[in-house]
Amino acid sequence: MEVTTSAGVSRSELEAPAFEEEAIFRPVAGMRRGLVVGSLITGALAGLLFFAWGYQIRNDIGVAGINRPVFWGFYIANFVFWIGISHAGTLISAILRVTSAEWRRPVTRCAEAITVFALTIGGLFPLIHLGRPWLFWFMVPVPNNRGLWPNFRSPLVWDMMAILTYLTGSTLYLLLPMLPDLAILRDRAAAENPLGFRARLYRVLALGWRGTPQQWHSLERGIRVMAVLIIPVAVSVHTIVSWDFAMTLQPMWHSTIFGPYFVVGAIYSGIAVLMVAMYVLRRGLGLEDYLNDRVFNNLGLLFVTFAVIWGYFTFAEHLTVWYGNEPSEMIVFWQRVSGDYAMIFWAMLIFNVVIPLSVLPFQWGRRPLATCLVGLGVLVGMWIERFLIVVGTLRFPRLDFTVGTYQPTWVEVAILVGSFGMFAFMYFLFVQFVPIVSIWEVREGKHLSSHGAERAAPVRRLIGEEA
Amino acid sequence: MAGAIAWTHAVFTSPSDAQVALRQLSEAGIVASDIEVRSSVPHEGLHPIGASPRTRVPLMAVLGGLVGGTGAFLLTSLSSLAYPLPTGAMPIVPGPPTGIITFEGLAIGAMLFTASTVLYEGRVLTRPSPPGKLDRYLAAGNIVVSVRCTQAPPPGWASTAIVTESQSAEPSP
Repeated sequence: MEVTTSAGVSRSELEAPAFEEEAIFRPVAGMRRGLVVGSLITGALAGLLFFAWGYQIRNDIGVAGINRPVFWGFYIANFVFWIGISHAGTLISAILRVTSAEWRRPVTRCAEAITVFALTIGGLFPLIHLGRPWLFWFMVPVPNNRGLWPNFRSPLVWDMMAILTYLTGSTLYLLLPMLPDLAILRDRAAAENPLGFRARLYRVLALGWRGTPQQWHSLERGIRVMAVLIIPVAVSVHTIVSWDFAMTLQPMWHSTIFGPYFVVGAIYSGIAVLMVAMYVLRRGLGLEDYLNDRVFNNLGLLFVTFAVIWGYFTFAEHLTVWYGNEPSEMIVFWQRVSGDYAMIFWAMLIFNVVIPLSVLPFQWGRRPLATCLVGLGVLVGMWIERFLIVVGTLRFPRLDFTVGTYQPTWVEVAILVGSFGMFAFMYFLFVQFVPIVSIWEVREGKHLSSHGAERAAPVRRLIGEEA
Repeated sequence: MAGAIAWTHAVFTSPSDAQVALRQLSEAGIVASDIEVRSSVPHEGLHPIGASPRTRVPLMAVLGGLVGGTGAFLLTSLSSLAYPLPTGAMPIVPGPPTGIITFEGLAIGAMLFTASTVLYEGRVLTRPSPPGKLDRYLAAGNIVVSVRCTQAPPPGWASTAIVTESQSAEPSP
């Protein structure tokens, strides 16, 4: 084999990636102490979830606080919360791709990963809530000799279908654009140590990606088609989750606005978690060049928009109930506004409306740290909202002789805490093996902008801008 | 015999240089099937002349949607008739729930067909080739143009390349 290089360019210079990309490659280049420690801590928290769940399976569902009439407690509130969080990624990424927003490039993967992890965790909660998770297959339409068949008129069956569709679509939407980056990592790792663990791992993960024009053409078209498909699916998922409630006649659930209200809340909480994740990644991995102020500013504008829309929906929902003055609804309403749940109800409004609308409209409020802090508040507020919807109504159903109470037990609290640990654990693992910023998309963006600049040069000369 | 065919590889830093090289190769009569272009970034129009990539992804997405939607509709309607579950005043096969499940089936069918077509058209599921010596250049963002030398490539086609490599065996660069 004969290799020649042109004069003036050293091989090592060519082999090294562009300097600014080092920040992307660093976490996946080898073990980093911070990431390993983070994985261990969050892994332990994830273990707490499985310990508490195991305890519940062993001792039966009675160890949870749910009881008549509050049959849905923390678990279903968590389910709705996590499914809402999942709207951060794929939906936002798809919308930004469809609208060709150039600033999306460093954000998409970080957002899409959130979707897959949050959906995985959200999907666990119906199983946990079931008490006997091994009976879950009763929901699956498979021929059997017991005459069991899912009732397709039940929104719970729609839920399962919608979540499975969204999880499948989101996973494919995350994995397909990851192939070129895995191939880059494969080639880098092979150059460093062809027999090393990472070289072998990426060789398997990158499949047969070579970067030929045909592969790029199919991939780009595929991503575009998937982006268009995933938007209505994402909307359908949270609409269907809302119908779990709205299709009943329970007070403050049977509402036509619930579908869009849930979707807006889901996107809102999704943006909140994206803000927090981006800030942590930016600080922890030194990604300031990619997750820069412009990205936070643009997402901050989206964030404030959804704060307004969510506030509007919440007002409309409560106004309609108050104006209708139906006794069974008013019991739930007054419990929220001035009763047992007043404190957390007003806290929810402060976290979700007052703080975001006091901070985000200003330029300084859309800086990374500010948006992260607002995002943390919104996450708390949105969890409270889910809790109020689920428990607030079930405590006071239409038949007032069934009024009850609900007190979560340590098992439910441990599972809630564990779910956050599991989410962070999955994220920690992910960033150690996959570039959290899409390398090829960023490179493509740079290429397009320089190409655009070249093409724009004659125009600039014409209008005298260059001078 | 495949192993006897020689390949020449050239690494270009810019797509315009690679495009010039491809044009020279085409003018010299080298057929597109004897040329391979690889890059870590998609470049519009960068492909061997006469071999512009085509895809059936949109068509397959529609087909997948039809298959998924029809399957979900049949599953919901036929199985509801086979296992009738009277609920309230609802018909045995009610329209809205059937529509919802049909939509989800349509979406999952379209997405699965889309992803499968991307993998199939790009032959991504074939066994990965062993690492080549020029792959590192590719990973660094350069473009590798390879020519199967069934006939001599035109002199100077790779004059703007930063690295060239001649190989007497089949393995990829």
